[in-house]
Amino acid sequence: MSDTNEPIGAATVVVVSGGSRGLGLAIVSDILASGASVAAFARTLTPELTALASAHPDRVHVASVDATDRHAVAAFLKAAEARLGPIDALVNNAAVGQDSLHVHTSPDDIARIIETNLTAPLLLARAVLRRILAKGNRGRIVMVTSVCAQRGYSGLVAYSATKGGLDSAMRTLAREMHGRALVNSVAPGFFASEMSSVLGQTQLDTITRRTPSGRLVEPENIVPIVHTLLFDDTNLNGQVITVDGGASI
Amino acid sequence: MSTLSRDQIRAMMAEVLVAQGKQMPGDDQANLEEIGFRSLDFSELALRVEDEIDEELNFDAPQLRQIATVSDVLDFLEQLQAA
Repeated sequence: MSDTNEPIGAATVVVVSGGSRGLGLAIVSDILASGASVAAFARTLTPELTALASAHPDRVHVASVDATDRHAVAAFLKAAEARLGPIDALVNNAAVGQDSLHVHTSPDDIARIIETNLTAPLLLARAVLRRILAKGNRGRIVMVTSVCAQRGYSGLVAYSATKGGLDSAMRTLAREMHGRALVNSVAPGFFASEMSSVLGQTQLDTITRRTPSGRLVEPENIVPIVHTLLFDDTNLNGQVITVDGGASI
Repeated sequence: MSTLSRDQIRAMMAEVLVAQGKQMPGDDQANLEEIGFRSLDFSELALRVEDEIDEELNFDAPQLRQIATVSDVLDFLEQLQAA
């Protein structure tokens, strides 16, 4: 299987972490609209995600799982495969934000951010790839990272480190998986809502002013990129696709 | 943990300002922007307080953004010590 030059097929069963709201929920909806199955988890299930599961019982598996609980994640993956079939794709989306100067961020908080935003996604990618390889299959991995991995923003030191770490891991995985998996990152700029809600209005105004397109990123801007990385034959591999209205250029 | 009084914190704030060639205003309602006391100056003051009380005072940036006057600085550092 690893010797084939055939394109890696479109995803059929996709795991989405942090799939209960915002970008994660939008990605889950798009995957369903594309005809694939989705296994989504989040620390807390929302009515929106639960409604999708009820509407598509044969193609959706959801559960309340803490991404940092590796045993719970392993049990989730096993249950998802039993219900939906072999997993062949992952969207590593779950993350926690930060808004504190590094010198005033407690060591415990730094450890928590790293565990949630870097260690947990690495372990999830490992678990999914092990399942793909064990079955002789091929697959696709999408890391949702951040423009913070490429540019400096005050108050986001640990967060930026985790996203940069994930981008680096993505590139190495893309090479390591050598034809068995396409591995890429999507790096959104600041969303107008969700995590950006912790930024002050002054900061958001400044970022908007410095964005050539004149508007902050919305989940709807990211979804088509994730879709392409999951379903299209683009031969993109080991790349970070930045979606930020040109703010970082 | 030992705590610093409001007057002690005010004196330390004056040290931070004087070290930059600035003056500590007599009025606690003085606006921080007008006296040139920036967010990193607050960080320096908080770290000096930490050194004195031998305890970390960690906090999120949104709390810092609420601070506009000398009185706000003193209030916030008192609150952090009491937390």
